[in-house]
Amino acid sequence: MALLEVKNLTVEFGSEDKPFRAVDSVSYSVDRGEVLGIVGESGSGKSVSSLAVMGLIDFPGRVTADALTFDGQDLLRMPSKRRRQITGKDIAMIFQDPMSALNPCFTVEAQIMEALKVHEGGNKKQRRERTLDLLDQVGIPDPKSRMTAYPHQLSGGMSQRIVIAMAIACNPRLLIADEPTTALDVTIQAQIIDLLLKLQEDSDMGLLLITHDLALVSEAANRIQVMYAGQLFESGPADSIFAAPRHPYTQALLEALPERSEGHDRLRTIPGVVPGQYDRPAGCLLAPRCRYANESCVNARPEVSDFNGRDVRCFYPLNDQGQPTGLPTGETV
Amino acid sequence: MSFLDTKPGVPLLESDDLVRHYDVNRGFGKPGATVKALDGVSFTLEAQKTLAVVGESGCGKSTLGRQLTLIEQPSSGELKINGNKVGNLSDKEAKQFRRTVQMIFQNPYGSLNPRKKVGQILAEPVLLNMENLGRKEREERVRATMAKVGLRPEFYQRYPHMFSGGQRQRIAIARALILEPKVIVADEPVSALDVSVQAQVLNLMMDLQKEMNVAYVFISHDLSVVRHIADDVMVMYLGRVAEKGPTEEIFAKPLHPYTRALLASAPKIDPTQRVKSEPLTGELPSPINPPSGCAFHKRCPFATEECAKVRPELRNFEGREVACHRVEEIA
Repeated sequence: MALLEVKNLTVEFGSEDKPFRAVDSVSYSVDRGEVLGIVGESGSGKSVSSLAVMGLIDFPGRVTADALTFDGQDLLRMPSKRRRQITGKDIAMIFQDPMSALNPCFTVEAQIMEALKVHEGGNKKQRRERTLDLLDQVGIPDPKSRMTAYPHQLSGGMSQRIVIAMAIACNPRLLIADEPTTALDVTIQAQIIDLLLKLQEDSDMGLLLITHDLALVSEAANRIQVMYAGQLFESGPADSIFAAPRHPYTQALLEALPERSEGHDRLRTIPGVVPGQYDRPAGCLLAPRCRYANESCVNARPEVSDFNGRDVRCFYPLNDQGQPTGLPTGETV
Repeated sequence: MSFLDTKPGVPLLESDDLVRHYDVNRGFGKPGATVKALDGVSFTLEAQKTLAVVGESGCGKSTLGRQLTLIEQPSSGELKINGNKVGNLSDKEAKQFRRTVQMIFQNPYGSLNPRKKVGQILAEPVLLNMENLGRKEREERVRATMAKVGLRPEFYQRYPHMFSGGQRQRIAIARALILEPKVIVADEPVSALDVSVQAQVLNLMMDLQKEMNVAYVFISHDLSVVRHIADDVMVMYLGRVAEKGPTEEIFAKPLHPYTRALLASAPKIDPTQRVKSEPLTGELPSPINPPSGCAFHKRCPFATEECAKVRPELRNFEGREVACHRVEEIA
């Protein structure tokens, strides 16, 4: 049984009769010791879906799902008191901007000890010792003197290490990292990702790595999900998904990367932008930007289906040569 | 003859040992300190070329951009345009200089005035710098520039909040281009944008370079973008140049240990291109209290005693400039 099982998760905002679907029937699962990467541009619903798992979507947002289970327990239908015991302890989250994730009014020590007090109990001395251990574990030099530091006295990379220490304080079984390195420099990014992967391996955690950086997920994740405008577009193993993308969006994203086009040529772009709340197309959400789109893409929404062992939401998934398959006869691209 | 006329054999923009120090107050009773944000940076920029400035945050790349656009005056050192010292310019000439060197800022959400319409934002530089233009001509010029950067004419009457990040960056580019500058200093122009939109903006910048013959000083921390767009790369560390040379050579064979570490830290999508190396330990030291000798020696795997004592000067090596004592052995 998978550690986290998400089936047809939908998050809606706005009025009942005309809701805005930030996340639209997304399904995935994370196993023990597995790294699942979720990639997508801004506005693709990757953060909202993880907030929904954490139970952090407030009114007026509505979360529905066929199944949202953690270790066999239904997160949506359990009493909120029970759920609070799980989130923060068994499921922990690392937020995007370490500078704003920490409370500027309290010392590092007080903030880490708070999580321990709520979930682990024990006396102050034990908690303090555990905090010291944690700071050491996340690679903070001279942890003793850092205990009494305030967030403004720490650099970005150091703050992110503190946030990670907070997240792993109660030995979570699932760690959700929402853009953990976006606010950091490349050299620090490499350090933080190495740290996360090491912690994940040591304690056999499940790790949900959410990012917009394709290269980063391809290096760190076992499996990858590509999201677009709230929908799951493609999912599969990390090593094959970027070698042979099946969805035109994945293909286009890869081609837009500067490292994929040599020399000073023009980059291949995806025209237009991710549709917002008011301009979602009726058919496939990518149809206005897709180079292969035809009439059926404009009129009907494709469902997720299996194609060569990969989940793809497209009428004409791509073959190994990067050409669409199953086009009506007589049509070529 | 104006100082803006190009002379053969003289680079368009030249920086000679540019220094910018800030005096900071460290609190009551404590002695003040000096932040050496920029500590002797020299480079030349030829017309229609792109020079990329790369480095971690805090290395002085943005400070350099501020000196080049005369937003601030350098503490010492000279900036030259077409061989003329900028420090000697009269007020009137300085105004002309500013017109020639324009800037694109990092965050298009912060650099556009939310109370002004796109038309007004773009008209302002024209209003201030081309006094002889009438209202009609000004509007024409704005509309022509909007067309050039791919903004639809009906956007003229819209406010910045109605646009997405990519379109806002187009507005910012249009604002920089409208005075037909010779140099554009672009401070992280695509770092706030998504991959697909980033490609659109980079294409636009490259097209405009050909069309309008501008040179770019492209400040960025994204190495793959730099590799794509730049002719020359200058790697900075703590206010000084670590390595400088043609893009292809630097990416093919980085010489300075810091350049190597930067390249190795960047994640690669292609498994065959991945370099497995020890990640750089530690963080950028404080510019208030930089390490002795080579500023990089505490994080450098090749550091020796000499590195901790003597500051390496920039010197020629294999057609590139590198500031490292041990470059011969490392290379």
